Amino acid sequence: MIRLENVSKMYGNETLAVRDASFDIAKGEFVFLVGPSGSGKSTLLRLMNRQERPERGNVWVAGRNINEMSSGQVPFLRRSMGNVFQDYKLLPNKTVFENVAFALEVIGKPKHVIAQQVPQVLELVGLAGKEDRFPHQLSGGEQQRVSIARAFVNRPLILLADEPTGNLDPATGEGIMGLLDAINRTGTTIVMATHDHRVVNAMRRRVIQLDRGVIVRDQERGVYE
Amino acid sequence: MLQRISYAIRETIASFRRNITLSLAAVITSAVSLLLVGTTFLIQRSFDNLLVQWRGDVGMIVFVRPDVAPDALQFIEQNLKSQPNVIDVSKLKYLDKAASYEEAKRVFAGDPTTLSLLSVDTIPSQFKVVPKTTDPALVRSLADQYRSLPGVEGVSLAEDEFQVISTLSSFVRAVTIGMSLVLLAVAVVLIWNTIRTAIFARRREIEVMKLVGATDWFIRVPFILEGLVQGLLGAVVSCGGLWLLNRAWEHGISGFKPGTGVSALVVPGGYVTGVMFALLAIGAVAGGVGSGVASSKFLDV
Repeated sequence: MIRLENVSKMYGNETLAVRDASFDIAKGEFVFLVGPSGSGKSTLLRLMNRQERPERGNVWVAGRNINEMSSGQVPFLRRSMGNVFQDYKLLPNKTVFENVAFALEVIGKPKHVIAQQVPQVLELVGLAGKEDRFPHQLSGGEQQRVSIARAFVNRPLILLADEPTGNLDPATGEGIMGLLDAINRTGTTIVMATHDHRVVNAMRRRVIQLDRGVIVRDQERGVYE
Repeated sequence: MLQRISYAIRETIASFRRNITLSLAAVITSAVSLLLVGTTFLIQRSFDNLLVQWRGDVGMIVFVRPDVAPDALQFIEQNLKSQPNVIDVSKLKYLDKAASYEEAKRVFAGDPTTLSLLSVDTIPSQFKVVPKTTDPALVRSLADQYRSLPGVEGVSLAEDEFQVISTLSSFVRAVTIGMSLVLLAVAVVLIWNTIRTAIFARRREIEVMKLVGATDWFIRVPFILEGLVQGLLGAVVSCGGLWLLNRAWEHGISGFKPGTGVSALVVPGGYVTGVMFALLAIGAVAGGVGSGVASSKFLDV
């Protein structure tokens, strides 16, 4: 589903964010990218949806080399991927329903599809009945659920999550991990960057560990260490 | 498709409201600059009218001294008639002192001081000459020739009057075109800045839109539309201003006595309408360019 071949990414002329990274992620996998801050986890995620382009190497998504894609095709690549962030990135002036609907609206989905899919996905993430709340009226965990609903409403093949539990207390984080696990079971490939030991150790999934831009470990059913 | 159009229109209106002060500044600036552009057109047109009217008329006037001897007067007339290749003899007209005084009363209607210096006895009589040739040099040499004839007080050429008017008209044209270009550039920059601000205000929304796979055009169109609307609104205001200005102008001119040539400065209504359409087009293009540049420059994420 996702393949990196000898990918290197520089910031400026000095900083090497990712050095010679290669790995293959199969369809339906759940992969943790772990490592300290600044080790290149977020950069790897940004390379996968072409927010960044590598200086060297190739990134393949669903059989296509996304570095060779024209910029006009990038929006269509991104429609097959959902994004979840540490800071949720919700729009404060829109309700829960509108935040999720927005993702469908801007890719031109008709109204009746929106009216049908948004309540479904809100039910899935456990927010039924809170459609008309605004983000500031929700807890951190609930806001992250809205963000996951928005990422998943279009039923993407891949979900990229960057520290989704970073701002949450352990119990709430566990709930979010349960939700991501459930989404993964529907066949969605999930790549999640984190430095949260507990979630990695509890899930026992594939772990790719980074240190200063270099992959130092790639282990099935790994722990954080 | 219909949904996308309604989305674009909704966003445009919302953004315009959110940025109301900046939007108004952009609209007013484009209105002022377009009004100046329109005024340039009208001024140019009225000068042209004036020149056209004079050109169709008399080309040269030979003034004869009031105390001229009858045989000298006859000699001058014979001289004029002896040049049928250069002068249209059939249109040659002699205004005696009485007729000249009547004419002067009209020419100096707004200038009683000059008129009081003249009387039927002291005014020069005049030959109105319509030249046949279009070569100004030939007419000029002819004028020099007549100046030396006994009894001639002076010769004036319409061409000299034209030169004053055309110099004036090209000066006014240069100034108004220059000013309107500068103001138009200011309007484009202001629209550009308004759109930049609007994009900045919505950067979170734009980031989310990009991540969920909205196309660049989908994101861009409401912003371009917003700039276009600002330019167009400015143009509408400037059209109103131009209409008022032209009405005041016509009203002012109707105060002049007829026959003084000033009435030629009235611009026909059809021309004014044409100028208004041109202003609407310029406004829309200026707004579209300003916002188009801003949205392609600042939407790269």
